[in-house]
Amino acid sequence: MREAVLTWCVPLELLCSHPLPLSAFLKTQVKLYTCRACAGKDEMGKMVSVINTVDTSHEDMIHDAQMDYYGTRLATCSSDRSVKIFDVRNGGQILIADLRGHEGPVWQVAWAHPMYGNILASCSYDRKVIIWREENGTWEKSHEHAGHDSSVNSVCWAPHDYGLILACGSSDGAISLLTYTGEGQWEVKKINNAHTIGCNAVSWAPAVVPGSLIDQPSGQKPNYIKRFASGGCDNLIKLWKEEEDGQWKEEQKLEAHSDWVRDVAWAPSIGLPTSTIASCSQDGRVFIWTCDDASSNTWSPKLLHKFNDVVWHVSWSITANILAVSGGDNKVTLWKESVDGQWVCISDVNKGQGSVSASVTEGQQNEQ
Amino acid sequence: MKLKEVDRTAMQAWSPAQNHPIYLATGTSAQQLDATFSTNASLEIFELDLSDPSLDMKSCATFSSSHRYHKLIWGPYKMDSKGDVSGVLIAGGENGNIILYDPSKIIAGDKEVVIAQNDKHTGPVRALDVNIFQTNLVASGANESEIYIWDLNNFATPMTPGAKTQPPEDISCIAWNRQVQHILASASPSGRATVWDLRKNEPIIKVSDHSNRMHCSGLAWHPDVATQMVLASEDDRLPVIQMWDLRFASSPLRVLENHARGILAIAWSMADPELLLSCGKDAKILCSNPNTGEVLYELPTNTQWCFDIQWCPRNPAVLSAASFDGRISVYSIMGGSTDGLRQKQVDKLSSSFGNLDPFGTGQPLPPLQIPQQTAQHSIVLPLKKPPKWIRRPVGASFSFGGKLVTFENVRMPSHQGAEQQQQQQHHVFISQVVTEKEFLSRSDQLQQAVQSQGFISYCQKKIDASQTEFEKNVWSFLKVNFEDDSRGKYLELLGYRKEDLGKKHIKEEKEESEFLPSSGGTFNISVSGDIDGLITQALLTGNFESAVDLCLHDNRMADAIILAIAGGQELLARTQKKYFAKSQSKITRLITAVVMKNWKEIVESCDLKNWREALAAVLTYAKPDEFSALCDLLGTRLENEGDSLLQTQACLCYICAGNVEKLVACWTKAQDGSHPLSLQDLIEKVVILRKAVQLTQAMDTSTVGVLLAAKMSQYANLLAAQGSIAAALAFLPDNTNQPNIMQLRDRLCRAQGEPVAGHESPKIPYEKQQLPKGRPGPVAGHHQMPRVQTQQYYPHGENPPPPGFIMHGNVNPNAAGQLPTSPGHMHTQVPPYPQPQRPQNGWNDPPALNRVPKKKKMPENFMPPVPITSPIMNPLGDPQSQMLQQQPSAPVPLSSQSSFPQPHLPGGQPFHGVQQPLGQTGMPPSFSKPNIEGAPGAPIGNTFQHVQSLPTKKITKKPIPDEHLILKTTFEDLIQRCLSSATDPQTKRKLDDASKRLEFLYDKLREQTLSPTITSGLHNIARSIETRNYSEGLTMHTHIVSTSNFSETSAFMPVLKVVLTQANKLGV
Repeated sequence: MREAVLTWCVPLELLCSHPLPLSAFLKTQVKLYTCRACAGKDEMGKMVSVINTVDTSHEDMIHDAQMDYYGTRLATCSSDRSVKIFDVRNGGQILIADLRGHEGPVWQVAWAHPMYGNILASCSYDRKVIIWREENGTWEKSHEHAGHDSSVNSVCWAPHDYGLILACGSSDGAISLLTYTGEGQWEVKKINNAHTIGCNAVSWAPAVVPGSLIDQPSGQKPNYIKRFASGGCDNLIKLWKEEEDGQWKEEQKLEAHSDWVRDVAWAPSIGLPTSTIASCSQDGRVFIWTCDDASSNTWSPKLLHKFNDVVWHVSWSITANILAVSGGDNKVTLWKESVDGQWVCISDVNKGQGSVSASVTEGQQNEQ
Repeated sequence: MKLKEVDRTAMQAWSPAQNHPIYLATGTSAQQLDATFSTNASLEIFELDLSDPSLDMKSCATFSSSHRYHKLIWGPYKMDSKGDVSGVLIAGGENGNIILYDPSKIIAGDKEVVIAQNDKHTGPVRALDVNIFQTNLVASGANESEIYIWDLNNFATPMTPGAKTQPPEDISCIAWNRQVQHILASASPSGRATVWDLRKNEPIIKVSDHSNRMHCSGLAWHPDVATQMVLASEDDRLPVIQMWDLRFASSPLRVLENHARGILAIAWSMADPELLLSCGKDAKILCSNPNTGEVLYELPTNTQWCFDIQWCPRNPAVLSAASFDGRISVYSIMGGSTDGLRQKQVDKLSSSFGNLDPFGTGQPLPPLQIPQQTAQHSIVLPLKKPPKWIRRPVGASFSFGGKLVTFENVRMPSHQGAEQQQQQQHHVFISQVVTEKEFLSRSDQLQQAVQSQGFISYCQKKIDASQTEFEKNVWSFLKVNFEDDSRGKYLELLGYRKEDLGKKHIKEEKEESEFLPSSGGTFNISVSGDIDGLITQALLTGNFESAVDLCLHDNRMADAIILAIAGGQELLARTQKKYFAKSQSKITRLITAVVMKNWKEIVESCDLKNWREALAAVLTYAKPDEFSALCDLLGTRLENEGDSLLQTQACLCYICAGNVEKLVACWTKAQDGSHPLSLQDLIEKVVILRKAVQLTQAMDTSTVGVLLAAKMSQYANLLAAQGSIAAALAFLPDNTNQPNIMQLRDRLCRAQGEPVAGHESPKIPYEKQQLPKGRPGPVAGHHQMPRVQTQQYYPHGENPPPPGFIMHGNVNPNAAGQLPTSPGHMHTQVPPYPQPQRPQNGWNDPPALNRVPKKKKMPENFMPPVPITSPIMNPLGDPQSQMLQQQPSAPVPLSSQSSFPQPHLPGGQPFHGVQQPLGQTGMPPSFSKPNIEGAPGAPIGNTFQHVQSLPTKKITKKPIPDEHLILKTTFEDLIQRCLSSATDPQTKRKLDDASKRLEFLYDKLREQTLSPTITSGLHNIARSIETRNYSEGLTMHTHIVSTSNFSETSAFMPVLKVVLTQANKLGV
């Protein structure tokens, strides 16, 4: 059987002279494999290449993996209740720390900006947020926030310009904001009932300075407007803004999803006046929200794609032009906005191997 | 935690999972009566609106029904994902009837909401279930062992799964298998469960523990495992849930004994097979893991029994429970605080009385006290184990340098393989994402060109590859910068070839010469009264002025001009003016400008269509010191006044001018700069132009304009995003104090994975933010309290940690006290950006200090009206004046002007070391320059020299190179000879002075900063001095002066002329 497929595949290979994936030969069922390089997505296979495979030795599911500001350290967290930090410079993988302290699965980790030192926040099903800090080369728990009544699902550090502020979204529906006030003290502000049944994700808006940085008189703090987005089990994305009195107020409700919002990601600022937010949901949809004018604050959604399974995570590249979408089918796809404003899938990262599989391409064709 | 409640004694059914929004349908229960003994029945639909924080459920529709219900289900039959409400509500009635309702019609308020009705059953229909594979199939169960399978497409004639079980008994539960679509199970209060295979049309197995105590109140199939099901018992003597596996059907696999009294209903979560809800007569609602028996959660309920419990199919954390006290409650199993809700309820209660004194007693009601007990219980803990649906299995996050971090948790194919799988599962992949291949390869080519200095071939390649004429032009112009005789080449590019013109001219001359009248012979001098006569008279009397006037009057222009030349400079000038005033020819203005040397006029007022010609004129005539300004001016005009086509041409002018900053501005305006390749287009040009400017003018090119810096950092960012960290570092401007660039540089350096010994890391150029609270020191207090206020955050793991974090700006005595103890650490610190880290030959490396600037070789026969040696002038203005501006700030730490607080730590020395590379990268070339160009006539340079270089210069005066020593001896010898033969003191003084000022020449010879043209010319002069041919020497002198840069020679050439003239006069 395998031989039959092989002989059947050979003419294909001859046609385009690009090597076919091994899986094309190993599949026992006959299926038409389009050579990726010829499928109009040129050299897609080389777009994503694994440069380091880190064996985390976690004993249960991994739920998050984040690199630090420089891309030299990797933090992972898992259902095994641990948080691990690896030095991954130059393709290495040296375990720096195995942080124990949570009493439940750890959902997310977030690195603070290095100007504050080496600080990592983690949140867990145990309703706690822990802030870890490296001191004298060893990582230790620096602060524990136990202000939530249910699983804390998401943590996100504010832009470093604002100081050390951490937003935490919880299944108790509340969002808490921890602000470091010096001398080991954290001030807590809480937004209750932000999302009924639970907040799944928080993401800060980039620090946008009114006018250019150079124009700022030195020593004077620019008047930042602090904003962040949250997504929850009420199918809503909410935008929050800090009022002048320091209180957080719901500024906007973005409605388009018909099921839990699993993740929101505010795109990094690239100097344009447009603000962009990506959101993904249990309903399989990924929306790109844009707001051209900060003052009018009108957001319009654009459907990036409707997947067949829950979409768990969205992440913007640093230059904000590529969106990585992680779906429940264990597939990661990369999307880019084309010149005519359409979002196109440019790559499918499968098992980190970077390939466009036939199934996804077919799926998209079916959608259209 | 309770989310909603509604006061109904009713059966309940959630809308199917596909449906959005979520609805809950309730139908009056047939089994219960409330205190009113009302037998009115209704079917209602509520919307679950979680964005509304109140406990009320929003009622969407009420339909008064003639039936009361034993069972209500909502099937997704014929449902499309578009419609708001669809599917079908299936109700089991009291009299053996099954009624199908259209929920969308109920919500719309239609009268006719019944789709179909069938009363085939003989008794109350207590069991109903929809097949999840074929949603048109509904199973129903009633008295007398009656089971029917209904096809909603053909509702009139139900089927039976097989022969009725004997003895006849009530069917209390019925359930389709979740994995195999033709398997159905039914159960009865007698405790027997029967599994039917619809393909065989008969019962295939009967499940019973033979205890006779199982009163089946609930039956549910395992969501994932086809052969497993649970049975719940209503009997208080055996309040258990039995888990059965049909592969071993003689006794239950597991028995859950968590209830104290009989179980009334169960519900198995479709979203997580480890969650089974059960409610019993012990008034408990429990959520347990049927696979282990562990109770994961107990819902906080009142003391009432619940008789029906349902998971919400769409929102897995939500369930509803109907209790005998006539209430349906909606709960979340995720825990959470109920305080908010409770308070709302209280508020509502109070406010519904309208005022606080509803009974007119004159005393307001006391505020309602919530019992302490409930306050203690207001926090509801979530499930002990996280439900499956919040365990994120996959994720991909971008990080710096275009890296993508992905992880995945492969679903275990089976329980057996779990152990093996676990080992492979927990990997994290770090991938490099490269999306801009072409961009990277072009950037690579550019870098190679810069490193190999192969600019000409690079430009040529670009010319060959150019798609548009304009692109080709730009690259041709850029290429010329690296070639000899650049001005001439520019002219050629503009379409003016000198040789061609010359040929044309010669041709014409030849023709003309044939017509020249033969001279010789005699001529008359007429003094008649006509105009000729008058002119003759004027000439004879030497009155040129009248003669010229007469000629002009008679329109004899040529005669007038020729006479004016004879009449002296003044008259010539006046005559020229008059001529231009009179002349109307097309090219007059050009001629005017050329003769008057008013190039500005050409540039300012030419028709923009003729920009090429204007540029050509400038290239031909303009003096070096005004050249770039003129090119700039023309460019600016093109940019501001021209149409879009001309605007782009302005780039060419800026290239000629060597004005990088304006080129960037102009290009950015014309092109869409957001795309990486168009940015690449720009950067290629800019880098090449900067190189050209650097090579030809040996000027300080490390100063980067704001706009250029922005573009370059954008470019570096793009490179970094594609993973080319090293390239990004090479292109990032060196010499800037812009915070974003410094931050990017730091990030790039560290991302490169440079070993940072023991985690002690260089200081990062971030301003330590003032934290908003508890900050007594004002921002301006930086200098008053430098030690603490300006401390950057300390290196990782370096300082002994004070309690908590010491934040910058913290007036923390501990911090202040501790810092002095750690100067040792500071000394070990690596400066953030040591030179070796920078790739060599970066495009913006400042020129080497001792490099002799390369000057263009001028062909001997090149004789433009004004000599041109360096076609491109400093685009940033006079570098010396710039330096002057910089100079005062140079010794001061950068912090005074930038927003970066500099560390003033006790061990201050190392920090200066840290700062210096940043502050000084731009300085060395500047410092070296005054020595080159500092001329007595240039006070700025001189001043600077005195400030910076004089003290050391005396000591380190270099010898004049041997080959040039002859110049000094010759000139000094000549001066001595002149002195000895000169008689008048005035001449002697002149010569003495000359002798001193020639030192400037010798200095330049020592520094070897003179261009070869000049030195060879000087040698010629020296040779002519030796042969005492002073007039020849003077001619050579004139030649040198006319072909060299004034600033280069002004210090000594005039003196040399004085000496030569004197020597000639004295005849020594």
